[in-house]
Amino acid sequence: MLEIAIMVAAIAIGSGIALVSGGLVGIGEGFVAGKAVEAMARQPEMEGSIRTTMLVGQAVSESGAIYSLAVVLLLIFTVLQPLVARFLELL
Amino acid sequence: MEPSILFHIGSFPVYQPVFWTWVIMAFLAIGSFILTRNLQKTPKGVQHFLEVGIEWVETLIAHDVGPARKIFVPLILMTALYVGVANMIGVIPGAYSPTEDLTTTLTLSLMIYVLGHIAGIAKKGFGKWLKGFIEPTFLMLPLNLAGEVSEFVSHSFRLYGNIFGGGILLGILYMMAPYVLPVPLMAWFGIIMGIIQTAVFTLLASIYIQNKLT
Repeated sequence: MLEIAIMVAAIAIGSGIALVSGGLVGIGEGFVAGKAVEAMARQPEMEGSIRTTMLVGQAVSESGAIYSLAVVLLLIFTVLQPLVARFLELL
Repeated sequence: MEPSILFHIGSFPVYQPVFWTWVIMAFLAIGSFILTRNLQKTPKGVQHFLEVGIEWVETLIAHDVGPARKIFVPLILMTALYVGVANMIGVIPGAYSPTEDLTTTLTLSLMIYVLGHIAGIAKKGFGKWLKGFIEPTFLMLPLNLAGEVSEFVSHSFRLYGNIFGGGILLGILYMMAPYVLPVPLMAWFGIIMGIIQTAVFTLLASIYIQNKLT
């Protein structure tokens, strides 16, 4: 009983911590967008190419946040839900 | 996380993503047929827009994949059309984006990955292609193999995670405020993010193919 409660709490806290990577990726992508605006202001004729490169770079660096999202989804839907169901059964 | 079964054909279950993929296939096929029914040498009407669009994609791919590889234009264009419509179909109430399911995106990214490798073998020859895994030294083999796996995994997870995450956020918002407020967010996640993720998926596909050819 107590063990299951501790496991549920740990999974919930761990999911929350894993989503910190979303904030970090947000900072990084903001830097990329800011630099892209600087580059566009300096060379407006390269706008299309800069925008494409910016989007690809942001998409690649977004992988970290996407991986943490996948881990959180896995934790919640395949580990947490059966545990909660078991917990409610024991109650 | 498993999508629900809509109906059965015989004993074969038809899941939500499969059904909506069929809807998109029918939409794209009928739309292409109607738009390209009577093409003329001198374009008129809607044919102008089609030619401008296809030329835009061709220059984009020539920039990424190289001018001699026009053979990839239909593949990339079809991927872009399918992913774009699949992302945006989620805006319609009751519809289900097939890209909200990992199976669809993993299939797409595996298709592009295998095709890229086949094109690489055809261009470079089998020995030289195999030698590409132990560049620059033999010690890099495990790292190169991990890079190969993470390439198509991250390619598929990027699209899936973005669309699925947007769907979860919209679902939570529906629970808290079911009227008015979700509409602009639906436009954002459905249309704008859909177009951006389509562009990213397509660009990365062409860049991955280019990497395998050189």
